[in-house]
This record gives sequence, structure tokens and C-alpha cells, in this order.
Amino acid sequence: MSAYPFTDHTYDVVVVGAGGAGLRATMGLAEAGLSTACLSKVFPTRSHTVAAQGGISAALGNMGEDDWRFHFYDTIKGSDWLGDQDAIEFMCKEAPSAVLELERFGLPFSRTEDGRIYQRPFGGMTTHYGKGIAQRTCAAADRTGHAMLHTLYQQSLKHNANFFIEYFAIDLIMEDGECRGVVALDLSTGTLHRFRAHTTILATGGYGRIYFSCTSAHTCTGDGGGMVLRAGLPLQDMEFVQFHPTGIYGAGCLITEGVRGEGGILRNAQGERFMERYAPNAKDLASRDVVSRSMTIEIREGRGVGPDRDHIYLHLEHLGAEVIQKRLPGIAETSRIFAGVDVTRQPIPVIPTAHYNMGGIPCNVHGEVVTRKGDDPSAVVPGLMAIGEAACVSVHGANRLGSNSLLDLVVFGRAAARRCAQVVKPGTGHRPLAADAGDLAVSRLDRYRNAAGKRPTADVRLTMQRTMQDHAAVFRSGETLREGCRKLAGVFEAMDDLRVADRSLVFNTDLVETLELENLLLQAAATIHSAAGREESRGAHAREDFPQRDDAQWLKHSLAWVSADGQVHLDYRPVQLDTLTDEVEPVPPRARTY
Amino acid sequence: MAEFRLPPNSRFKDVPGRQYKAPPGATSVRTFRIYRWDPDSGDKPRVDSFEVDLRRCGPMVLDALIKIKNEVDSTLTFRRSCREGICGSCAMNIDGVNTLACIKAIEDVKGELRIFPLPHLPVIKDLVPDLTNFYAQYASIKPWLQTRTPAPPDRERLQSPEDQEKIDRPSACILCACCSTSCPSYWWNGDRYLGPAALLAAYRWIVDTRDEATGERLDDLEDPFRLYRCHTIMNCTEACPKDLNPARAIAEIKKLMAERQY
Amino acid sequence: MNLRSPLGYVLGHGSAREGVHHWWHLRTTSAALAVLGVWFLFAVLTLPDLGRAAVVAWLARPLNAVLMVLFVWTAVWHSALGVQVVVEDYVRTKGPRVLVLVLVRFIHVLIGAAALVSVLKLALGGKA
Repeated sequence: MSAYPFTDHTYDVVVVGAGGAGLRATMGLAEAGLSTACLSKVFPTRSHTVAAQGGISAALGNMGEDDWRFHFYDTIKGSDWLGDQDAIEFMCKEAPSAVLELERFGLPFSRTEDGRIYQRPFGGMTTHYGKGIAQRTCAAADRTGHAMLHTLYQQSLKHNANFFIEYFAIDLIMEDGECRGVVALDLSTGTLHRFRAHTTILATGGYGRIYFSCTSAHTCTGDGGGMVLRAGLPLQDMEFVQFHPTGIYGAGCLITEGVRGEGGILRNAQGERFMERYAPNAKDLASRDVVSRSMTIEIREGRGVGPDRDHIYLHLEHLGAEVIQKRLPGIAETSRIFAGVDVTRQPIPVIPTAHYNMGGIPCNVHGEVVTRKGDDPSAVVPGLMAIGEAACVSVHGANRLGSNSLLDLVVFGRAAARRCAQVVKPGTGHRPLAADAGDLAVSRLDRYRNAAGKRPTADVRLTMQRTMQDHAAVFRSGETLREGCRKLAGVFEAMDDLRVADRSLVFNTDLVETLELENLLLQAAATIHSAAGREESRGAHAREDFPQRDDAQWLKHSLAWVSADGQVHLDYRPVQLDTLTDEVEPVPPRARTY
Repeated sequence: MAEFRLPPNSRFKDVPGRQYKAPPGATSVRTFRIYRWDPDSGDKPRVDSFEVDLRRCGPMVLDALIKIKNEVDSTLTFRRSCREGICGSCAMNIDGVNTLACIKAIEDVKGELRIFPLPHLPVIKDLVPDLTNFYAQYASIKPWLQTRTPAPPDRERLQSPEDQEKIDRPSACILCACCSTSCPSYWWNGDRYLGPAALLAAYRWIVDTRDEATGERLDDLEDPFRLYRCHTIMNCTEACPKDLNPARAIAEIKKLMAERQY
Repeated sequence: MNLRSPLGYVLGHGSAREGVHHWWHLRTTSAALAVLGVWFLFAVLTLPDLGRAAVVAWLARPLNAVLMVLFVWTAVWHSALGVQVVVEDYVRTKGPRVLVLVLVRFIHVLIGAAALVSVLKLALGGKA
């Protein structure tokens, strides 16, 4: 193994990922005086948080009555009761202060006439427990994620955080069930680095690229989830994949729910506002899983638009050019470029598109990673934390509400930094690493770099993506899922016949894409097997053979362990139905209609 | 003197490029001539030609690059991420103009497409330039809110919609570096001239009504090189893939400098 | 090998707190030159002939002499500022750059002084 010498680094905390959650944690840690390294495979402002459009939810009440308890209720209902109520309480209560903090960092929020943060309505966000429509989503035009990511990067610069940019994290360093750090590849030089830390925080984002058509960036390959699975730990609720109702037909680019928040309307081939039938109260602003299913049904029943009747129109012409220019300028631009549509005169062709992973690395309210150990369903894994889309706290349960993800990032990024500041004393000494620390990473790197089989990485990846698209999309059934599992087993076999053409070490994207493919594939297996295991319909997981929610059997989180050869082991954890404090009453499961 | 020619080891015309033909039966073929350089090989750079069947390819230049990487030569190296023009990863020089490959339609270019890395930056590999200096320049202008008045404890700092309007466009910069690397002044003096992107970022904070360090910010910029290397060539505004106007922002900064002096 | 941090490299010696004067003077001199240039062109075109006697007679009028002095002065000043920018743009090596800047400034002063003396001599001396 001497061909790959390590450069060693020691920090109090290492953060992997520099999206919204990773940066919020990094700046908080730097602020707290802990020596912190933040690793990212892309320059921080290239992280996928940048593409979030609509906004960040918080019950500020700037544009009408609001209360964090309403937000709490909406989030639980949105999650179809699979969300942990203690975590949801924590997030919704922290939301106003987290958003105000962003404003104080300089985030260029859009403003109301009296100078306060502008808030728009979003799907599933109501007042008085479902009675009214809330304006809760704080927006910076239609590029809130961009504004937030840049603001957090700026704050990290202000606090002189240590960045390791274009470092690709390969594997965790695990020692007797404890995480001791992470091994990473410096892309620009091709050298290997071993980061030793008291705490490793995974903020690696989602794994949207397991699907053929997704709103996610090419870099959304769930590297943290892959590392965790290889470390022998489970992922939670992986069957819950959110399909965003409005991805641009063909290109897959996201059209924010904020369009419907500002008054945009979905219409079928007959020009009918069909959401009135499926969600009489919330209509186009029903929860995303509901809208995506309704659209899919419309298309299946032959009321889709276009020559192949396979998509739906999103109309915003009636909003007028001025509102579009002021509130949705990016949407106008994206629609023009990717759909050739002038939104002031024509509808946007849209289709439900894979968008967000509710599932991820199971963790508690502090961000500490947990696993099931014997009878303890929530045993903390020492030295390891997870935040953001990579994590499953779970605040989103079976379906995330729009604008709750940016909130998730900052609330739990901040909470993780606070937790570290409590448990890690700056400058505490480190035990030496085991002699074989990092061997797993080196062996995988070496194997793929010299992979001389017949199938290029892109080819195998495409097979996986098609399989997931065909077998684990908006509607699922036992039969298609089982067939998908079989096909995916074939993809695992194909991994032994991979071909990587680039043998160099400097910026070897062929190699990185292969490492990413393994991460994706492990999570694809977790997703489809968890989906096959869950015999009910809940939130984003809609089974045609089990159309009802079944609280008696299935009000529990799934856990999936995946071995290197694709064998999946499933187990379950209870859902937290109690709140954290007595400031709010728990919401017991009930029927979910919009 | 300023360097007007590439250094000898960077000249790409000395080594013949490789040719990759379109598969038989392709009807709508376009040729992509792409700059290639692998530091590990020790060879000089070259320009390879790839024929792509546009009927089996997405509409954007990035789609073609990905298709080439996936199906023809997986060693082709470039940055990409969001593929919708917001992350700024895939900035490169296409047909002589700096832009984002993901929102540049192949149809917009007539004839062969010549694809090079952003100009006048050290190349790491193929289309991947080293942006270290560019990022350091951004960090150098202190791109964060500076105030002395404490923020109200329980609500946001207020800002009128009109004042927000002033920072709305300038804060939409994606740091792709298309503007700075299109500026001849930045080519000649990129080590001392901050360049349009960093100056646009500086302007965004100078005109932010919440910021209380306007004077210090202007002080830090008042320099023959940092600011005044801008000779209003306007390539920056021409190049910006987000339709922002760095040239105007720089002109406004110069105006503010004069206003506080005279 | 350069081991300095990228930020340290960019921050360098800090801001010179200078440049606004240069910028302002370059613009004011160009504005002045635009006006004086029009006057000069008009004057030359309306001279009866370009013989020495005609020019001397024209310069002997105080208003013309004053404007001519201003024209020459402004032109040299503007040129000095402009050429300085060109040198700063293109001469990258520190030693030669300072040398060229000083040389250029000297040449401008020389040209300016010579031009002023010539104008004054013609305007005041009148005869030769």
C-alpha cells in the first residue's frame, strides 16, 4: 500500500460537506473556538443548496398571524406521522431565531413594504392547524438557497474556517464502533489525506442521482450514506423519496413550489385545474407527495399534455410580468433556457421528478448518529454526527414540506456545532490511530483506479438509474419492487466488471465518479429493499398493492444495512410520538387530507 | 512585459489531437474541438476532435461533454454540478466566449465548437482551471455584513424594498469567474487587480444599507491596481452568464470614490 | 516554491489609498482637452495662413496665448497620466517598471517645459 502515502491531519472536528448544513456547522464550530476542518468535493458555493429556490420556513408572522406550533402541526401532518415529534418541535421552535440569524449574517432577503422579511405561502403550510393558509416561507426572490449558501460561506470566511476544497471523502476511519475521522483524496494533487478528529460530521447531502430523472445536481451522490453503510451502520427510512411535482419535462430542472405559492396553477390536457378534485382545500398547494400522485394519475388516465400526453402544464401567465420579474426572475430564465417557454405567455411543461431524500443517516436531535444495538434502538455511535439531507433526524418523516429543508440545514447545522462545543474541549489530545486506519479507503481506491473490466462507469450507472426510475418511482407495487431488487443485484455484479480508463491521480473524475457510483448503488439497494419491505402507503411511499396507511403495523422507521455485495438486512425503530417539552401537545396520528 | 503568448509548454498546436469519429449512421453530426492536457503524462496540451450525433444528445454544450465522457472518452475532465446555471462549476471558454456549458445551447454556435478552459488561469487538467487566486480575491474584500450597531434582539434588521433592490442583482453572482477571466486587464494584472467578480461582490456590500463599513470598504479598494486597473473594456458584462453588470458596479464604486473626495 | 497563503498573496501590502486623484484628473483633463481641442482646431482653421507671421500675430493676443498654454499643459498632463497607466498595465517586472515610469514622467516634463517655453517665447517675444 506504500503507493499511496497518507498526509495526516488532526482537528477537533471534521465536517464533510460544505452545503448549507456543513457550512452552518463549520462556522459555528470555528466561532466556538474548536479547530475545524471542512472538506468538500466541490467549492462551497457549488454545493447543491445553491439550487434551492423557494425559501426557508419560519413562523415569523411577518405577513399575517403565525405560530411555531402551527408549523409543528403542519410538519407532522406533512410527514404522515413518520416524523419524530421531538425533533420537529425542536426545529419549528428554533426556526425563527435561525432565520433571523441568517438575516443578521447579511442574507439579502426580499422585503415587505415595512422592511421586514418577505414570506410566501408554500405547500402544506397552514395556520390554526389546517384552517387557513400560512405565509411562512422566507424568500430571497426565487434563489433563496443561493443567497443562503453564499451567506454561510461568507460567514465561514469571516470566522477563518479551514477549508479543504476539492477533497473527496472516501471512507470513515472506524475503530471498535467509534468514528475516528475520515480518509479523503485531494483531487488537485491526487494525494491521500487522513483526518483524525474527536467528531466527524457528515453533511454530504442527498443521493438523488440514483434516479434517471432528478432535480439533483450531478454531485448529489450521497457519499456520506455510502460511507456509513460501509462502516456497518444502517440508513433509515430510505424508501421515502420525494418526487417534486414540478421538474421541467425533459431537462429535470426544478421549478420552485414558490410558483404555486405566488398563484401558479397546474392544468391537465382539458385545461382543468385538477388539484381542486384531489385537494379541495389546499388545491395546488397541497403537500408535494399528494400533488405528484395526482399529476401521475392524471397522466395515466390520459389527461396529460403534449404529443405523448405524458406531462402537465404549470400556468403562471395570469400573475403578470411584474410579479414574475420581481418574485420569480430565475424561474422565467430557467424556463426560457430549458423549456423554450416565455412564462408571461406560455405554461411550463412539468412532470414529477425525484427531488429529495427524506431518509438518510439516523440521528438524534443533537445530530449524533444512532443505530439499533440489541434492544437499544437509539444507541449513539461515538464520534459520528450527521446533518442536512444526508441525515434522518427525522423531521421530514415520510414526506418533506417545501421550505423545510433549508430550515433543517441551518437548525441542525447549528445544533451539531453547539453539541460539539459542549462535548469536545478545544485542544483535547488524540489517541493514535490504529495501524490499519484508512486501509479500506486505500484498497477501494486502488481497486477502482485499476479496474480493467468491460463496462464503463457511466454504463453501469445508467442501468442503476433506469432500474430505480422504472421500479421505485411515484407509485410502487410489490411485484415491480421485487423485480427492481433482482435487477439491482445484477448491477452489483456488474461492479466487478467495471472499466476505469483514467489511471492518473490528478483530478481523476473517472475514478471519483466510480467511487460515487458505489455510494449511489448501496443507497439504491437500501431504497428499493426498504420500499419492498414496507407494505403500506405513507407519504411519498405509495404502494398500489397496499394503498392505505397502516399505523398498527408500520408506524416505525425502517433501518437498512447493506453489504458490499448488495445484501440488504432490514430492521425497524420506533417513531418518537412524544414532544421534547410540554410547550406543545403531541399530535396523534389521524387521517391526512388537504 | 505582460505575456502575450502562451509559454512554450502550454502551446497546444505542437501536438496533434486525437480524432473520434461519430458512430456510423449518425445524421446530425457536430464536431467538438476540446483542449486536453494531462499533467501526469508530461506531454504538451493538444486539441482533440469529437464528433457527436446531436440527435442522441441533450441540447446544451454540457450535455455533449457528458455524452463524450460517458460514451467515448471517460478521461475527459471538467467540473460540473447543478446543470441549471446556478452553481457556476462548468464555466469554460466556448467558441471564444466565457460562459456556463450547462446553459449554452449547442445550436447557438455555428460550425465546430471550440472548447477551452477559462483563459489565462493555470490549468489543472483538461478544462479544469485553478481558481485559487480568484477565490482569495473574493475573500479579500471581506464579503460579510459588518456593523457596529447591535441587531435588534427579536427581529430582523429592517430594509426597505427599494434598498433591497440595490443588492438584489449584485448578490446573484455565482462566482463562476467568466467575467474576471474575460477581462484583458485581469489577464495582465490578475495578481493585483481584483477583477470584476470581486469588485461586484465588494459593491454588493458597499450599497447594502445594513452595512456600516462602507468607508473602510472604499478605503480598501482605493488603489491603482485593486480597482483602477478597470479600463471599462466591458468584457465582464458581455460575458456574465447571469446577465449581471459588473462593469456598472465598478463604475459606481469609482463614482463613490470621487464623491467622497470632491 | 511559493508557500504563502493565497489570501496573504492577494492582500499583499494593502491598499495604496490612492488612485482617485489620478482617475479624476484623467477625466477632468480629457474634458478640458475636448473643449480646448475644439478651440484649437477652430483657431487653426480660421488663421489666414499657417505662415510664421500669422501664427505669431495670433499668439500675441493674450486670450489666445493663455488658451494655448492651457492646451499644451493639459495635453502633456493628460498624456503623462495615460502613458503611466499603459506602463503599469504592460510592464510587469518591478525594477524596469519603476524605471520606465520615471523616464516617462521626465520625458513628459521635458516636452511640457519645452512646449510652454516655445509658446511663451512666441507670444511674448513676438519677433524672431
